[in-house]
Amino acid sequence: MAMRQTPLTCSGHTRPVVDLAFSGITPYGYFLISACKDGKPMLRQGDTGDWIGTFLGHKGAVWGATLNKDATKAATAAADFTAKVWDAVSGDELMTLAHKHIVKTVDFTQDSNYLLTGGQDKLLRIYDLNKPEAEPKEISGHTSGIKKALWCSEDKQILSADDKTVRLWDHATMTEVKSLNFNMSVSSMEYIPEGEILVITYGRSIAFHSAVSLDPIKSFEAPATINSASLHPEKEFLVAGGEDFKLYKYDYNSGEELESYKGHFGPIHCVRFSPDGELYASGSEDGTLRLWQTVVGKTYGLWKCVLPEIASENSDCIYPSAPDVKA
Amino acid sequence: MQTPVTIPVPVLRLPRGPDGFSRGFAPDGRRAPLRPEVPEIQKCPIAQESLEFQEQRARAALRERYLRSLLAMVGHQVSFTLHEGVRVAAHFGATDLDVANFYVSQLQTPIGVQAEALLRCSDIISYTFKP
Repeated sequence: MAMRQTPLTCSGHTRPVVDLAFSGITPYGYFLISACKDGKPMLRQGDTGDWIGTFLGHKGAVWGATLNKDATKAATAAADFTAKVWDAVSGDELMTLAHKHIVKTVDFTQDSNYLLTGGQDKLLRIYDLNKPEAEPKEISGHTSGIKKALWCSEDKQILSADDKTVRLWDHATMTEVKSLNFNMSVSSMEYIPEGEILVITYGRSIAFHSAVSLDPIKSFEAPATINSASLHPEKEFLVAGGEDFKLYKYDYNSGEELESYKGHFGPIHCVRFSPDGELYASGSEDGTLRLWQTVVGKTYGLWKCVLPEIASENSDCIYPSAPDVKA
Repeated sequence: MQTPVTIPVPVLRLPRGPDGFSRGFAPDGRRAPLRPEVPEIQKCPIAQESLEFQEQRARAALRERYLRSLLAMVGHQVSFTLHEGVRVAAHFGATDLDVANFYVSQLQTPIGVQAEALLRCSDIISYTFKP
C-alpha cells in the first residue's frame, strides 16, 4: 500500500514566515528557528515542530534568524534596524546590535564567537560576541541591499548575496576574492560545508556552485519562480519552493523531478533540510511552517508507520483529515 | 488509467503550538541543566531532594485528579463562564491533548443552540458541573 506525504503544520505565527534555520545535532536533538514578519521569531524542536518558546523584543518584522551549532544561542535580523543575539535555552535577549538600516541576515561562526550581519545599508558587519561594546568590522562593496551573508570555508571566507550579485570575501583581509553576476534577482543562498557547495536560486533556476571558486557545478529549472532551495546532507535530493505554493523534490544527480507537494496557502519563502536529512521544513506567506518527510512512510518524529490491519487496535495514531494531505 | 490507492502517513499527534499566554522556554524543559546552577538556599542535599520529590508527586497527583475530572465530565451538562460575563451551558464531549479546546454539543448560547462546537479554553474563565 503506497503511502502519501503527511505534512505537519506548525502554527503560531500570525504573518508570513520569511526565514528558517536548523541548529546542528545536539544531545537534546536539533532545533528550528523561524523568522516572521510579526516580529516574534520562534524556537521549535526540530524533529517534531513542537513550539519551545518565542523570542520577544524586536519592534519590527524579523527578516533573518539563525541558531548556533549547539542551539545555545540564536540571532535575529529585523526591520527595526537591529540584530539581536539571544540565549536559546532561556529565551533571554543577550545583545542588541544597532545598525543604520533594516538588517536582513545573520550567521554565527562555528565557534559562536563572531556574528556576521548584512542588510539594506549594503555593509557586511562582523561582531565579536565576546566584546559586544566594540565596534564591528565592516566590509563594503555591495551596491544593493544584502539579502544573505554566510560564513564559509571554516569561517575563513564570507559569502554574501545582494540583488544581482554573489560575492566571496576573505575574512582576514576583508577584501573581495570573487563575484558572480546574475540577470535576475537572487532569491536565496545556502552553503553546504561538506563538499563546499553553494546553492543559489534566481528566477526559476536552482544553481549549484563551488563555494571556494564560485565556479558553476550544475543547475535545474523549476516549473515556477523559486524563492528557496536546500540540498540534502547526503546530496541525494534537493527541495525547492516558490511562488506557486508547491514544494518540489529533485534527484540531485539526475535533475529528475521526483515529487511535488501542495499544501501551503501562499508562496514559499524558505525551505531547509534538517541536519540529519530526515525531514525538511518550509516557511510560507501563509504564516505557517510545514515539516515534510524525506522518505515518506518512515517512522520518525511524529510520523509513525502503522500497517492498516494493526491501526484499528493501535489507538495511538491519527490519520490526518483530507484537506491536509493533497499531494 | 487507475491512480494507485494511497493512504496518508499516520501521525502520533500534531506539533504543539504556542501556549498563548507565555513566551515559553519552560524552566523545567529538556535543556534546563545547560543553564548555570544558581544555588539559592543552602539546604542539605537529601532534604532538598525529598522536597522536590514530594512536590513532583503532589503535582502528578493533582494532574491525575484533573484529568479524571475531565473524564467524569464526559456526557454531562457543564456550565461555562466566559469573558464579559457571558455564561453558556453545553454537554461536554472531549478535550484535546493540550487542553486547549473543549469539544461540546448542544451549546446554549444567547443567540441560539449550536449543535456542536469547540470552546477555546483560553476563552473560559471557569466551568462547573454536577457529576
